Amino acid sequence: MAGKEWFGVERSTFSWGPIIDEEKCTQCGLCLLSCGAGVFGYSGSKKTFRVINFGSCTMGCTTCGKVCPESAISFPDSSRTFMHSAVVKGKIFPKVKEALALRLEKFPDHVQHLKSEEK
Amino acid sequence: MLDPFFAKWHGIDRTTIEWGPKIDATKCTGCGLCVVTCGEKRNVYGFDPDSKKAVVMYPQHCMVGCDNCAMACLWDAISFPHDAEYLKVLSRKINKEQITKELDKKLTENPGLVIE
Repeated sequence: MAGKEWFGVERSTFSWGPIIDEEKCTQCGLCLLSCGAGVFGYSGSKKTFRVINFGSCTMGCTTCGKVCPESAISFPDSSRTFMHSAVVKGKIFPKVKEALALRLEKFPDHVQHLKSEEK
Repeated sequence: MLDPFFAKWHGIDRTTIEWGPKIDATKCTGCGLCVVTCGEKRNVYGFDPDSKKAVVMYPQHCMVGCDNCAMACLWDAISFPHDAEYLKVLSRKINKEQITKELDKKLTENPGLVIE
């Protein structure tokens, strides 16, 4: 079975996800709440939050790290550097174009004719 | 009126939080990556097929802390009003009971996130 793809590129070819510094972490759980990708889990026996699905992290996302009150979460690279490299090397724009067309088809109100509205 | 789903961020009134993208139209090449990088639920962006530019439609629907669209933009055409420091000040203001309540709900609804 093919793995999850990111605009046609196998997600597993990228290494991107959060790393928790256990020394700094105060176990508040905001990382788990902030993540929509199911990266974090909660250990009931240890009462700790842990990274359980590193590879499920949304490409380039650092939301958990930015909202972490203790700055306890880091990433393998700067998000911008990582994403720019991934976008260029992945040659994703044909797929992005398809995805954009699909999105606007599904949400036609997101087609914005700015000039004609001004008239 | 904000959709109730977007009205609060962990109990904090979302309208008091300055977080959302801004596009520099002179830099935007209309590639559309920002539009589709943003999820369908929040769907912050629109697209103008005439000028071939992305358009910010719902900045208040933007997920607080997320700037994935800006990070992905090869032309650095997207900016956010604040950096991580602003968000840390904000997250320290979240009521602990609110977090506990939300965690209970999320872990109940997503039992796969609970490990041994």
